[in-house]
Amino acid sequence: MTRMTVLTLLAALPVGAAAQRGDWPMPARDYAARRYSDLSEITGANAARLRPVWTFSTGVLGGHEGQPLVVDNTMYVVTPYPNVLYAFDLTREGYPLKWKYRPAVDPNALGIACCDAINRGAFYADGKIVYNLLDGHTVAVAAATGKELWKTRIADLAQGETTPVAPLVVKHRVIVGASGGEFGIHGWLKGLDLETGRIVWTAYNIGPDSEVLAKVGTFQPFYDRGADLALTTWPADVWKNGGAPVWGWMSYDPSLDLLYYGTGNPAPYNPEQRAGDNKWTASVLARRPEDGTLVWAYQFTPHDSWDYDATSEMILADLSVNGRPRKVLVHFDKNGFAYTMDRATGEVLVAQPFVDLNWAKRVDVATGRPVIDSTKLTGASRGNVKDVCPSLEGGKSPASPAAYSPRTGLFYLATNNMCMDYQATRATRIAGTPFIGANTPYHAGRGGQLGAFIAWDAGAGKKVWQTTERYPVWSGALVTAGDVAFYGTLDGWFKAADAKTGKVLWQFKVGSGVVGNPITYTGPDGKQYVAVYAGIGGDWFLLAGDVRSDDPADVRPPADFMSDIARHTSQGGIVWIFAL
Amino acid sequence: MDLRPVVALLLVTAACPGREAARPSGAARLEARVLAGGVAPPAAGLQADKNPFRGDRQSAAEGERTFGVMNCDGCHGGGAVGWVGPSLRDGRWRYGGSDAEIFQSICYGQPHGMPAYGGLLPPDAIWKLVTYLQSLEPPANVPTQSWR
Repeated sequence: MTRMTVLTLLAALPVGAAAQRGDWPMPARDYAARRYSDLSEITGANAARLRPVWTFSTGVLGGHEGQPLVVDNTMYVVTPYPNVLYAFDLTREGYPLKWKYRPAVDPNALGIACCDAINRGAFYADGKIVYNLLDGHTVAVAAATGKELWKTRIADLAQGETTPVAPLVVKHRVIVGASGGEFGIHGWLKGLDLETGRIVWTAYNIGPDSEVLAKVGTFQPFYDRGADLALTTWPADVWKNGGAPVWGWMSYDPSLDLLYYGTGNPAPYNPEQRAGDNKWTASVLARRPEDGTLVWAYQFTPHDSWDYDATSEMILADLSVNGRPRKVLVHFDKNGFAYTMDRATGEVLVAQPFVDLNWAKRVDVATGRPVIDSTKLTGASRGNVKDVCPSLEGGKSPASPAAYSPRTGLFYLATNNMCMDYQATRATRIAGTPFIGANTPYHAGRGGQLGAFIAWDAGAGKKVWQTTERYPVWSGALVTAGDVAFYGTLDGWFKAADAKTGKVLWQFKVGSGVVGNPITYTGPDGKQYVAVYAGIGGDWFLLAGDVRSDDPADVRPPADFMSDIARHTSQGGIVWIFAL
Repeated sequence: MDLRPVVALLLVTAACPGREAARPSGAARLEARVLAGGVAPPAAGLQADKNPFRGDRQSAAEGERTFGVMNCDGCHGGGAVGWVGPSLRDGRWRYGGSDAEIFQSICYGQPHGMPAYGGLLPPDAIWKLVTYLQSLEPPANVPTQSWR
């Protein structure tokens, strides 16, 4: 048998998909990134009786993004830096630890990470817990014992790369990327061998076709033609520090054998230093997980001038679009448009605003390009461009992934109602230091409320309902077969809502603002549980400085657009579990 | 304004005296500092304990410009009000606020990701940065935050 045949046979085994019905083995529970569970004990009729059954202080104050995993009656929790991994035994009273893994993580990562020392979670595959340390390493830890199996350096802090992203494991490949859109990195995706941690392939998001792994005959973008697109859409050499980080979520379609991920902003924020479309920043890329080959790509925001990263999840669903059943991916971009795309080809089928926006009038689905309002274009020579909507926090933050219910056919997501002024300045690349070049103060959008939790019909491109929130909403969403949607708020409420109407059925104050993603699972007693992290942070570590009380050498005034958030929350990581 | 000539000028004359920069091999890996531009500070003794430009407005203005050009504002925020890095205008110092201590933090970096700039900036440019930070009047200490 040839080596190739062995690889092909191995590839047919869905390593990461061996989970039981009630488990939560990967960040979004399934490869389609749906954050949907078919558990249905908790319903609209009984959700009001939810109560906390267990809490755990992680001992860490950084923003608690990401989510726990539950596999085989064990809950796995990765903390923000210093990236401690806890394994809780759900079969015993009080859920004592089975083990705790405390890696050595370079504290320099704290200053190289743009926006708090967060981690977006782990992935369970083949008896291993795989996750990224902030300082540019991927580790695999034995799920049964907590023993480190391998540790691979994947990124370079000295170049501004940090690694809060959650890996996706497909067919014995561990797929990872790096943050650093604010440090002028040369963004990439890597495929590691699950058994050994060896780096098998590296695919850059910017550069010549040979580095982007775009091969003649295989790479077929729907809208673009020509060779070296990720090189010719940049000024000479500027692409080498052009950003395109990978810090959001990945998904995978086994029938097409395509891996989907979004890329972040071009660097620097001052667009006048990088004439051209700047492909493939602010884009979705579809690759073969085995060797990284690029199959198609689409750029949501050409020549991004507003820091509109496209790192939000690509949710895979089968929907009716214009009366026809389509295999789509659905993406809620920072730029305020929700895209429904053919996931085999990269064709845009529907692109409609899911929040107020004014940088573009619409997306032309014939060309795939946004029709831009030229008065909102930014640049160092344009001075302070006022009132751009949405703000660079995004109409939806990529940090807060949406959920999809095949029962209701709707998508559920946290949104922000914020706009910004954008004053670009010339930036200088100095390795290991920020490469930004913009000052971008925020203000509330129309109506004054800063956020909302909404339900979206991606076939029609229409909002179905929304619940407004006083503050930006920055948690992920969860939806279940009980037709209950869950989310948390920045002021520390964890809520259950009727998935059909949006009516809030239950809420509980969890001790700190929620920027994590709820999950649900079946306990050893057969009951349905819901878990979520509390622990405000992420961008709110920067923007709501007065919620921090830990550092007597760093005292800041409240954010002017959100002056009273510290009345309702402060930092601190807590794992919460709820049940009926 | 194109600031590249300013940076080029700063780079040409870099020479930062201070404590030894090279570390013995086998030392704790996590003690290493990030080097701005990948350039290590020179290993030489610090010449002065006092900021020679303290209170000089012209030097503070030059330091403010360097604060932007060298991307200090990218972490510490415009006006040094704090961002992912701490506020440098709140009158409180994690690693000491004397002239020499601030100089050392800029020249040799600090362990939570503050890069060492001593390989890029000459001592005078660092002292002018110190002068700029010292020119920022800390706000009144108001320990109570209240709401109605």
